[in-house]
Amino acid sequence: MAKTIQNNIRRLRFDRKEMTQQELADKIAVTRQTVNAIELNKYSPSLEVAFRIAEVFGVPLDQVFQYEAVKR
Amino acid sequence: MSFREKSAWISFILIFIFGALWLQNLIRVEFYGLHEHPVKIAFTMLAALIVAEIGLHVAIAIQSPREARTPKDEREKLIDLKASRVGFYVLMVGAWASIATMHIPGANKFTIVQAMMGAIIIATLTRFAVQIALYRRDA
Repeated sequence: MAKTIQNNIRRLRFDRKEMTQQELADKIAVTRQTVNAIELNKYSPSLEVAFRIAEVFGVPLDQVFQYEAVKR
Repeated sequence: MSFREKSAWISFILIFIFGALWLQNLIRVEFYGLHEHPVKIAFTMLAALIVAEIGLHVAIAIQSPREARTPKDEREKLIDLKASRVGFYVLMVGAWASIATMHIPGANKFTIVQAMMGAIIIATLTRFAVQIALYRRDA
């Protein structure tokens, strides 16, 4: 089974008073479209952006991103 | 649709129109012998292309000023790089094909220059087409 990078950004945004994609994008200095692509697992961000996302939510990196097998 | 995608669409459509007009002019000169200062026509079309590019980009920047001011992020830079790489291969094939036109009986400098122009237009169109496809895929 192939492993891919999964993330919990949508849930983390929801837990932070429904932070919008634009608000998160502004905080990590990327476009809203890039946040959307990351959330939908269509784009894997660089390590630096990944750490910035974790910093915004105040959680360790592995609570934002997981490398796991996904059933297709 | 994001500002960058709109920008790619504008450039693609304008260069497509420019290419079609250039080809029409080339056919008129090559096959019908109508010489209406081909260089003058080419420069007029190029000037019109630049003016249209600037005008339309200003228009979409007014529509979404925030996005227009935001520098390209890592994903957009990666899309640019991937599209440029594909465009480069097309340009290389076109450049070699242009050189090969030297061996066509009756070919002259004009033929080679026009073949290179064609290669540049096709490579640029390919670059913007790949950009649009990659933006659409991530949308």
